Order: sequence, then C-alpha cells, then structure tokens
Amino acid sequence: MGRALKLTDILVTIIIALIFGLVYKLWGPLYGFVSVFGLHAEQLIYGMWFIAATVAYLIIRKPGVALLAEVAAAHGEFIFGGEWGVTTLIFGLGQGLAAELVFAAVRYKKFDMFTVSLAAIASAGASILIDFYYGYIGDLALWNLLLLIGIRCVGAVLIAGIFAYFIVQALEKTKVTNLIRPVSSNDYKDLDK
Amino acid sequence: MQLDFSFRETWLHKINPSFKFILIVALFIHILFIHNINIIINYMIGTAILYILFTGHPWKRLLIISIPFILIFLTSSTSMIFFGKGEVTWFKWGLIHITEEGFFRGLHLGFRGLVFATLGIIFALTTRPVYLFYSLMQQLKLKPKYAYSFMAAVRLIPIMFEELQTIRYALKVRGVQSQKGILGFYHLLKSYSIPMLSQSIRRAHRIAVAMEAKRFSDTTKRTYYYLVGFSKLDVYLLIYFVVVIGTSYYFANSYSYFPIQDVRYNN
Amino acid sequence: MEVIASVNKLRLKFPGAESLLFKDFSLSIRKGEKVLIVGSSGSGKSTLLQVLTGLIPSSVEVPMKVENIKIPLSWGFVFQDPESQFCMPYVDEEIAFVLENLQIPHDQMPSYISYYLKQVGLSFDDMHTKTQILSGGMKQRLAIAAVLALESDVLFLDEPTAMLDPEGTEEVWNTIKEVGEDKTLVIVEHKINHVVDFVDRVIILSDNGEIVADGSKQEVFEQYKHVLIDQGIWYPDAWKDYLLANGKPRPQSTGWDSNSAITLTDFTGFRGKNKKIEIKNVDVFPGEWITVLGKNGAGKSTLLHAMMDLIKTKGVYTIFGQDAKKINKLSDYAAFVFQNPEFQFVTNSVYDEVAFTLRLEKWNLDKVSNKVEELLEFYFLKNHEHSHPYQLSMGQKRRLSVAAATVKGQPILLLDEPTFGQDAKNTFAILEQIEYLRSQGTIVIMVTHDLNIVEHFSTRVWVIDQGELTIDCSSSEYTKGMHKVVG
Repeated sequence: MGRALKLTDILVTIIIALIFGLVYKLWGPLYGFVSVFGLHAEQLIYGMWFIAATVAYLIIRKPGVALLAEVAAAHGEFIFGGEWGVTTLIFGLGQGLAAELVFAAVRYKKFDMFTVSLAAIASAGASILIDFYYGYIGDLALWNLLLLIGIRCVGAVLIAGIFAYFIVQALEKTKVTNLIRPVSSNDYKDLDK
Repeated sequence: MQLDFSFRETWLHKINPSFKFILIVALFIHILFIHNINIIINYMIGTAILYILFTGHPWKRLLIISIPFILIFLTSSTSMIFFGKGEVTWFKWGLIHITEEGFFRGLHLGFRGLVFATLGIIFALTTRPVYLFYSLMQQLKLKPKYAYSFMAAVRLIPIMFEELQTIRYALKVRGVQSQKGILGFYHLLKSYSIPMLSQSIRRAHRIAVAMEAKRFSDTTKRTYYYLVGFSKLDVYLLIYFVVVIGTSYYFANSYSYFPIQDVRYNN
Repeated sequence: MEVIASVNKLRLKFPGAESLLFKDFSLSIRKGEKVLIVGSSGSGKSTLLQVLTGLIPSSVEVPMKVENIKIPLSWGFVFQDPESQFCMPYVDEEIAFVLENLQIPHDQMPSYISYYLKQVGLSFDDMHTKTQILSGGMKQRLAIAAVLALESDVLFLDEPTAMLDPEGTEEVWNTIKEVGEDKTLVIVEHKINHVVDFVDRVIILSDNGEIVADGSKQEVFEQYKHVLIDQGIWYPDAWKDYLLANGKPRPQSTGWDSNSAITLTDFTGFRGKNKKIEIKNVDVFPGEWITVLGKNGAGKSTLLHAMMDLIKTKGVYTIFGQDAKKINKLSDYAAFVFQNPEFQFVTNSVYDEVAFTLRLEKWNLDKVSNKVEELLEFYFLKNHEHSHPYQLSMGQKRRLSVAAATVKGQPILLLDEPTFGQDAKNTFAILEQIEYLRSQGTIVIMVTHDLNIVEHFSTRVWVIDQGELTIDCSSSEYTKGMHKVVG
C-alpha cells in the first residue's frame, strides 16, 4: 500500500488547508476583538489555528499530511495578506511539525479523539514555545502566563481535537472520504468471486 | 492575490519572489533578536515607507488595508501592558498591574507586530502567487506536485467564497438559527465545514485526475512558461533593508525616543 | 480496421460497494470510430472511459483486473465540470500547463497557445485572460484546446456539456465536430440531441454494467428507444414523446383569487452597493407559474435572492397585502430551492432533512411523521429515508431539496434552475410535482434556460436583461413570438 503522498492527497490536503486558511483570515479580526481585554479569553479560540493539521490527518490518514496542511494554511493566510504576516508561517511550521510528531508516534495507525487531542496539545505547546521568543510571554506575571497556557491548551483540545474529530465523523457519513482513503485488500479479493 | 484590483506595477513586483520570501523570513528572525524599542520604531518607519510609496496601490486602499493594524497593535501589546513583570509600578488595581517595564515591553511587542504585518502585506500586495510558485520550483527546487497543487487550490478560492455565501443564504432560508455558547459554535462550524469540505474534496480529486490526464507527472522533466530569474532590483531591495536596519540602529543610539535599551525583564 | 482501444474481461468494483460494477466486460473501439456511450447514472460509463485511458487505476485507485487491455498511445480527456478540470487561473497558463508537461521549449509556447485557442474558435485580445470570467461554453472549449495540445488521435469526452446552458452546449458540440473530424471519439452523454448526427456507433449500458445494445445508430435508436426512455436519456424527441404519452394540456392559471398575491413596485436588489436587479411594477396571482429567462449574469438568480430577502432591497414588496420587510419569517411564505441542492442540506438523513423545518416549528411527533411519510412517498424517496442526502443520485437530491423546502406548504415557491443537469425522467418527474403544487394554488417562480418548460408547463414569462425586467407576458404569447423569430 503506497504511503507516499500522491497528487490527489496533496491537492486535497492543500485545499482543506486553504479552507481553513480562509477561516483564519476571517478569524484574525475576531480574535483581535476578543483579545483586547488582556485576560486571554481569545486563547480559547486560538485552537482554530491548529485544526487544519488534525482535520487533514483524519481525512487522508497519511504521513506528512498534518505538516503540509498546517504550513499550507499558514502560507495561504500569508499570501492573502493575513494580518499577522510572516509570523503565521513560523507558527504554522512549528505547529504542524508538533502535530506530525504525535501522529508519527502512533505510526499513523490511530485516528481516535485522544490522538488528535494529543496532537492539538502538541501544536499548542509548539506555539507557546515560539511565543516565548516572539511574545516575551515569559515576562508576563506568572498567574497570567499559566492562565494563557491553560486556556490555550483547553481551546486546542476542544477545537482542534474534539470538534475536528466530530466534523470528520460527520464528513465520513457523506462518503466523500472514500474517494481518497486507501482501498482495502478485501475489495481486491472480491474481484475473484 | 490582490490582482483583481488595479494597481501600478512597481519595482517591488519585479523582485524575484523566492528571494523576497527568504529575505522576509530572514528579517523576521533577525527582528526577534531586537529588544530595543527605539530600533523597532525606526524599523517600523522604514517598512512603512516601502508600504506607502512602493506597493503601487492607491493610498485609499492602503489605508483600508491598514485598519486591522490597530487591532494587531492592541492584541500584541495589551496583555503585556496590563500584566507584564516590572519593578516600577505605575498603576495597580486588582489583577491589573501596569509597570513601566511591562508598558514599554508591550509597546515593543505592538510595534514588532506592526513590522511583521507590514512586511507580510508588502509581500502579499506585490507578489502574484503563480510567480511565487514558479520561482520556488526554479530557484528552490520545490517539487512540481506541491507547486501546481497549490496553484490549482488558489484558483478555487473565489469559488469557495461564492459557496460560503450560498451556504449562508441556505442556512437562512432553511431557518437554521445560531445558538449561543460552545455548542452553538460547534454547530456553526459544522454547518459550514461539511458542505465546504465535501465539495472541495470531490473537486480536488477531480482536478488531480484532470491534471494527470494532461500528462502531469512529478518524475519527468518539465519546461516552464514563466522563467523567473534574478535582477539588480533584488540587490536594491537588499540594500534598502541594510540601510533601514543600519540607520535604525544608528538613530536609536544617537536620538532615542525612550531611554530603554532592552525591554526584556532581568536584563 | 485497427483496434485502438479495448478491454477484455474487465472486472471492477468500487471500494465498499456490494457487487462488482463490471463483471467480465469486454469492448473494443476501432480507429476513426465515433462512438456514443449512453446509460443511466451509475451504469459505469464514466468509469469505463477512465479504464480505457488508464486513469483507473493509475490516478484513481479502484480495484480492477482485466485479461487484456489496450490503451491508446495518445489520448485526450475532456471532463464534465469546467470548474474542476483547470489547474491554472489564466487561459494562456492553462494551455501552457500541458505544453510544460510535454516539455515544449519556453519560447515556442506563446505561438502554440494561440494556435490551439484558434482551433477551438476562441480569440482574446489578450491571451492572459482569467478563466473565471469565461462562460461555461467557453470554458469547455478552453478545456478542449488544452486537450488538443496533447496532439492525440483519440478523444474521450465525459458529458462535456452536462453543466452548460443550451447556447454553450451548442458551441461546444460544434467545436467538437470540427476538431474531432479526423480523430477517434468516445463520447459519454446524456443529452444526445447534438451528438446523434455525427456519431456512427452507439452503445447502451445497463444499470448493472452490461452492454444492452451495440451497433450503428440507426439500428440502436430504432430497436432500443424504450431503453432510452427508461434510462431518461435526452434523445431528440424526448419532449415530443413525453407530451404524446401524457396528453398534457397547457396549464391554466385561472380559477383562483383575483387579488394579487405578490406586488413589486420599483423593487431593486443590491449586491454590495451595486444595483443588480430592478422591477418596475408587477403583480403575481395564485396558481401562476412564471419562468424567468435571460442570459447568464442577467440577474435572474439575484431576483430570487431579492424576493427571498437574502440581499439588500429597496422599493415596495408585498405578500398578501403585507409589507414583506415587516414579515418576521419570510420562509413561512416563500420556499426556496437552490441550484445546487447539496448546499441546502443540513442534516444527516433524508428523513431528518424533510422533518427539519417541522421540528423547528415544534410540530408534534405524529404530525411530523405523517407529513414526512406523505412527502417521501410523493417524491419517490421512501426507500432512501435513512440514506445520507449527499449519497443520493442527482435526481433524488433535487426531489429531496424540493420536498424539504416546501414541507410547510408555503404559497410561494422560488426555484433556481431545478432541472439543470437532470436526466429526462427526473426532469419530467420534478416538473409534474411542481405542477401539482401549482394546481393547488402555489405560485411558482422558476429560473430556467429550457424553453420547453415555457411552452408546456409555465403560464407566464419574465425575461431579465442586464438587471431589468424587459418582457412580462403570458407563456403562449411568448412562444408565439418565439416561433416568429425563429421562423
């Protein structure tokens, strides 16, 4: 069974990513509005930025997809002139890599809610790590920093973990995912009946 | 992406896209190591000049595009201003603790966010995605299957926008009411993403088949319709930023706005 | 004659399907033949084309095996949907994509591009034109130009006009006739009006992937007409035979309340800040069936959107004497059926889809299930009540969308090209169902390109031109005028 990404896989991943790239673009201003209060309420919806990786992985189920999706989504947001500019690219790369590592750790064989939630937390972790350099978050008052980390992780699990899982489940009911999933060997056996 | 609008083509449009891309990423990384608020303010002025004078778009549009910049400034700075660590207290009320150090660190973050945003917008306004991907294939050896997938996907964006609109109409006609709270948010996300995703997956699948039917292959060699090369303009852009950075440092030392050298705590 | 493409004992099965689509299927095509393959949806005709070109299994993984297969040395493939066969945003870039694949040197590309565009009759002041602004017919001709760039002797065409209006359909077939003269053509089609005069061999596939008929077109059309009707093929006399079989009189909109149900006066609809549709003054009465005609982009859909209050409007719009703007829920009065049914589905099963609105209105359970059962029966969906709406066939999706939209029995029904892309059988079925609603007094306002509907179903015609209502007359007057113009 070929696990390398075929043209179809890449195209589907990138289009999924761009849909979320669009969402990010629309999300940016909303995120801004909630965040002005400084109490990190916006961190709850930060998880939206990790969803491309988990959704693409759940749909295509192949190595490399999570990373590609997150980079493509960030890139998409970048070339449409997203407010965050270059920042998105670096964050996208880090978040995608983190999610990819989790999926590699389960050898691309688990597609349950726990696994994607773990990937979401890993993405959140990566973004927090970058934020130490980018946003000096280490210089926030400790309670405020912990609040940020806590809420960001909760938001990540909720949106990029649980919601992503249920959305892909709903999508599977439409059977459109059959187009891109690998064919089982049983189907080949049936040819000889 | 902005090619739907009319604009004047400037020298920034003619810069090699890969070079422009790498330069901007390099600038990003360098800026992360600037901790002096005076330098970042000068830097911001340098990029703003490029944005205002050389992107070739009418000033009205530039103004509209820069409205969200205010938000970026606020988003990037507020937490740090209200809750940042510092010794010299200016104001304290409940959890809010504004210190001098935190305040300037917040401002620094705000300005830094603006610089990144401006650099990104300059890139977006002056780079056609198709040229970027041709350049990435030719200069950085990006695999064609990634480059063409990306170009095919970008082509679909206007169609996706239309679909988004149709779904919005349909939800209204069917009387789907949005609920409040987390569950309501999930339902909203679902009612948009299922039709969008399923249409797009089918379309992506068909496009991939159509591309291969046109003998697209990742293994054979290919020629290019657009040959993207380098020019002396690339050098000019490099020089521009060398000058901007140089003068930012110089003026920050000789004419500083604030008497602060490093906004980090414990430095 | 030399065999140019063939399969022998093909076995093929879609993943997860219960049975084989093709079981020991054999077919060969000789050089220079112009072959038409017809069959109902799901008969595997598109799949067959993809097997004959090797796209299955090389690009699309579908389990298959075959004793012998001959794939033409060089072939080109034109797909159904113009939107999903282009890879690049501009006309020149799209053809250049093929040239790049064939490693044509960079400096020769522009002359090749204009050569192939000329072959399909496309000319632009600047070849660097966005594909997005082309009409459907032009897009498909561009797709043909791109295929010609492959310089292949065999062309496979998979319903290339299924998504086009009558005008586009005609231009595309004229182009194919011209460029296909010296080539082997294998065509899958459902609307065969334009195809019959230049094909010489016709193959009919059955629902279970077997060849029902294979022979010269005279032979097949004479002996198997009943199969064509049964499969819903749009053959040249489909409308005539339908009318003969049903003896259908033109509907009359009289006998209803003579007070106007809808009044529009100086009614304008806006997209953003631009005025896109303007209606000076019309009255609409119960039991009328209005077809809205006009070119693509004239503002037909916009009119429906305006009447559904989906876009910003100005002017007078009253429904049964009430100001439409003050009506709290316009969807209590007007039902709307979208061109692409999938977008309006909001649940996971056919049953839930129909029940959705009633549940929103808090009907009690028994009443809901009675109403839903009744509608599922009426729209021939009873056997699919547990299926996911997306898994239905084109015709079923369309019927479900009408059932779900009209469940409340609203007095006004707005439809955006409901017969678009439907086969003959489904078209007649849905028209009859709408006619039943009309005969009960429902006002039907329908955007369409099909003049047969004007002549045989509607009572009144509106023609929209550049955002204005230019003609408002009865259908019979319109058809009389039409015949005069046509001669």
